[in-house]
Amino acid sequence: MRKLFITRKLFVTIVLAGVALGSLSRPVFAQAPSKEEKRRLILKGSKLWPVYCNQCHNARPPGEKAPYEWDQEIMHMRMLGNIPADDARALVEYLKTR
Amino acid sequence: MSAERLFSTFLFAFAVAALSLAGPARAADSDGTDAVAMKQIRSEIRQMREERKRDREVIRSLEIKVQQLETKDSKVQAGTQQLQSTDQKLKETTLELQQTNARVKSLQTKVDAPIAPSQFASDFGRYLGSHTFQITGAAGFNFVYDQQSGALDGLHHATQNTFFFNFEPMFLYRPADWILFEGELEGSFGQAGTAVDLPLADFQITLNDYMMIVAGLFDQPFGDWYENQSPMWVNRFVSAPLPFGVEAVVPPSEIGLQLRGGLQWGDLGQDVDYTVWGGNGPNFSESVPGAAIGGPTAIASSLTNGKSIGARVRFYPLPLDEHLGRLELGASTYNGKWMNGHWFNSWGVDFNYFNGNLQMRGEWVQAYRQMPSNFSQDNRQGWYLQAGYFLNGLNVPGFPDKLNSYIHRLEPLVRYSGVNQHGVAIDDIHGATGVGVGGLQVGLIPDFGLSGSPALFAPHSREVALGLDYWVAPSIVWQNEFDIELPRAGGVFVSSTGASTPAGSIPNDHAFLTQFTVGF
Ligand code: HEC
Repeated sequence: MRKLFITRKLFVTIVLAGVALGSLSRPVFAQAPSKEEKRRLILKGSKLWPVYCNQCHNARPPGEKAPYEWDQEIMHMRMLGNIPADDARALVEYLKTR
Repeated sequence: MSAERLFSTFLFAFAVAALSLAGPARAADSDGTDAVAMKQIRSEIRQMREERKRDREVIRSLEIKVQQLETKDSKVQAGTQQLQSTDQKLKETTLELQQTNARVKSLQTKVDAPIAPSQFASDFGRYLGSHTFQITGAAGFNFVYDQQSGALDGLHHATQNTFFFNFEPMFLYRPADWILFEGELEGSFGQAGTAVDLPLADFQITLNDYMMIVAGLFDQPFGDWYENQSPMWVNRFVSAPLPFGVEAVVPPSEIGLQLRGGLQWGDLGQDVDYTVWGGNGPNFSESVPGAAIGGPTAIASSLTNGKSIGARVRFYPLPLDEHLGRLELGASTYNGKWMNGHWFNSWGVDFNYFNGNLQMRGEWVQAYRQMPSNFSQDNRQGWYLQAGYFLNGLNVPGFPDKLNSYIHRLEPLVRYSGVNQHGVAIDDIHGATGVGVGGLQVGLIPDFGLSGSPALFAPHSREVALGLDYWVAPSIVWQNEFDIELPRAGGVFVSSTGASTPAGSIPNDHAFLTQFTVGF
């Protein structure tokens, strides 16, 4: 019983902390980035790709998938790797340049 | 004319009469001069008449001329106007022509130039629509050769010498940029039968930069292996490490709800992430000690009667710019009730490290299963440690380039894994080797744990796996694995009634597995 109580408390704390953090953050569904912003993201993405995308499996190269497929894939990979949001945005912009 | 003449005759007669009346009085002195004057007057009158006539004619002809001139003038005016408007129109037409020309030119340059990828992408995006769909997943063809060296008393003891085919299509559907649906079907076909499964079906909902929700049926986010290493092309080996195979320590999957996210705490690459979840809880094939733990979709999941909660934190200490590689350190816990309020508690730690051609990973998992009072307790431990190195940079002197280029695609691997549990349920061994209801597997045992060896089911199983992968592409691989089973003595086998027999010493098996697999 005691164990359950502790884990429940932990669970609730994490959820509440998440909600608090989340409400402070900017929206995910950002508009299409400006030109400079896009350049920054692509550059960052090119640095992240060989490291982040090789961690769980061999990095899948940008040319393998169509841009719309990368939109889906990075959503999927962002979930699996809990990749920070800006890093995920950078990766998707880089992968779409191919 | 005749009227005029009549009138002039009358005028003449009147003048004569008047003169003749006055005549007698003056006749005597002026007869001759009067007549001359009369004549003169008459001729003058005649002249005047003629002049008048001529004048009229002149006037008329002038009037006609004026009229003619007038009409001519208006015509000229109209003509001028027309000319002016024609001129205007011409000017407009010229302008239009110039514009059309310019347009044609720009179109031509557009047609001649290759379409910019971004333009094509946006065009194609419009063509696809905002709801996008994709099929990914994997397929694998493999062969297992597992010649048994000795028998275990009373246990089914199959020699495996068989082909398998595994097909795992995965559907990704993205109706908006904040929601993704993922669903996976699985079919495995082998000597002992066919197994179909639905390993994954969930919604992934992005709430904000730090939070995502996953709802549905998902791989257990405990540790690293189930969630991130189980797909055929991702796993460097054909089989699963022992604690994630037939003698699983934590359930391979869960139906429930996750909240997860990550953030950068330091320099680029220095991240931390969390996953918390709750679900339907663990279930076991039987209520006896040593029974296999299963996922929520297992056919024989009659023993689940509780819920579960879990949490995992992963930490990435290395900054990207230091070029030290990527290191992940993780800790997980998973707790739930499996039957009549009996607890199942587990925790684990894991790591993975990747740098250039080297990759290493490992995990330690521990579980406590509270048992009904008539049974002994059922605690389990499992671990694995794995390393691989790509021969990318290896150029064997004296070898032709072609041969060296093949060598560059090789990745030799080694893995050591083990599980400790006091007992193993006999029915699980039967089920997993294809004798039980449902063919190849009864849905309790993850198929990636299967090689057919009873050494896998030893209470104290140990295994060294040697691998040699030949990578055709990042997700196309021919994998070869040689397993050396090194079970320790001890422990018990448990029947469905709970009766246990000492396991004693268990024969060491060797197995060879080869697989060609493609990740889509
Ligand atoms: C945390 C581990 C992890 C990381 C990091 C990761 N992947 Fe994956 N990736 C997976 C797993 C696991 C699968 C298999 C699909 C599944 O199980 O859902 C996969 C599958 C894929 C696929 C195949 C299509 C699919 O959805 O199954 C592609 C393409 C892919 N990953 C690309 C990437 C790229 C690009 C990156 C870098 C941003 C990346 N991955 C980072 C774990 C990871």
